[in-house]
Amino acid sequence: MSKTKTMHELINLLAISLRHKIGSIVNNNEIYAQKYAKDAEVLLNEAKKISLKEHWNLYDKKKIREELSLTLRKELESKTFIGEKKFDLMDEEMSRVLKELGIGE
Amino acid sequence: MEGKAAFEHKVSKGSRFNQIYIPTSMNRIFEVGDLVEVKLVKKKEQIYHSKNLEYLGEFKLSVIKQIFSVLGKFTEIGQIFVVGSFLTQKADYNDIDIIVISGKKRIEEKAYFALSEKLPLKFHILAISEENLEKLLKSDPLIRSMLFYFASNKKFELPEKTEIDTKHLEFLLMMPEDLLKISISDGRMYYDSLRRLIAIKRFVGKQNTDPVLMDKELKSSLGNNFYFTLKKNEPLDKKTIENAQNIIRKQLILMRKILT
Repeated sequence: MSKTKTMHELINLLAISLRHKIGSIVNNNEIYAQKYAKDAEVLLNEAKKISLKEHWNLYDKKKIREELSLTLRKELESKTFIGEKKFDLMDEEMSRVLKELGIGE
Repeated sequence: MEGKAAFEHKVSKGSRFNQIYIPTSMNRIFEVGDLVEVKLVKKKEQIYHSKNLEYLGEFKLSVIKQIFSVLGKFTEIGQIFVVGSFLTQKADYNDIDIIVISGKKRIEEKAYFALSEKLPLKFHILAISEENLEKLLKSDPLIRSMLFYFASNKKFELPEKTEIDTKHLEFLLMMPEDLLKISISDGRMYYDSLRRLIAIKRFVGKQNTDPVLMDKELKSSLGNNFYFTLKKNEPLDKKTIENAQNIIRKQLILMRKILT
């Protein structure tokens, strides 16, 4: 798989994982908050496996962050059942997972 | 005299107030106008269960009684439910699933700690506030499925009246839909999503959400081998993932038709 394809797969997984995580925080009255946070972890672990397939240089890291931000925004916009607070959590949650993956700036 | 002035008696139901009768043999010790102190010695251990539940056997009944005894001491817990495979499977259960009705924060951890101190078993505790439970019982297929079989320390009946909360159902459909966009090697994610889809389908179609029936339906649609591969969370290869995704896709198409 090419580096670009791996990058897209990684961004896709991270965006979905973050959507689940943010959903679990915003909809914290839901009894499923715990379950969605756990699902987010499983997805994040898959993303970690993909991330390890490549060596990401500074340019790649910047690109991942930018594209992830766009993809995640779209993901969150499309899920109207997740409360509006979701957009406030985007940057913080994104920075956290990217740092965890060693892709943070 | 005061040392002997004690007796144990059950509280009985009165027409206006619950009451404790003084034994006739003690009429001369406890006289009208005397001041007494009443203490709780042992909480009544009664198991209320769903009508569909088969006899659980001595071991399970004793575990449930102990759970009620430990958690019954928490004043912040309004009601306790034992649910899940512990009630429906003979031996093939993992955790003992417990729902406690409480609005207090961190009650799950406190309850888990108290139970672990007394019973060397694995527990999974979920806390729901009374207000939230009332809402979920009407609109949530999964909580209805969880409480289809129950043992509780207080009376309970699953309400018949349901209502469709599309926003909530969309939230539940999030993971099954995501599994079509990504490849996850954990079989259990597919298993949970498929069960969830069956529960939603049955709920929307005004059928009961009996977890045993749902499992049978899933097993018959997947076939024995595939069913256990997913349920036991075995790692999946590319072909198996595609197979699972196809089944989810079909179910989702059906679901969309029902919901629109």
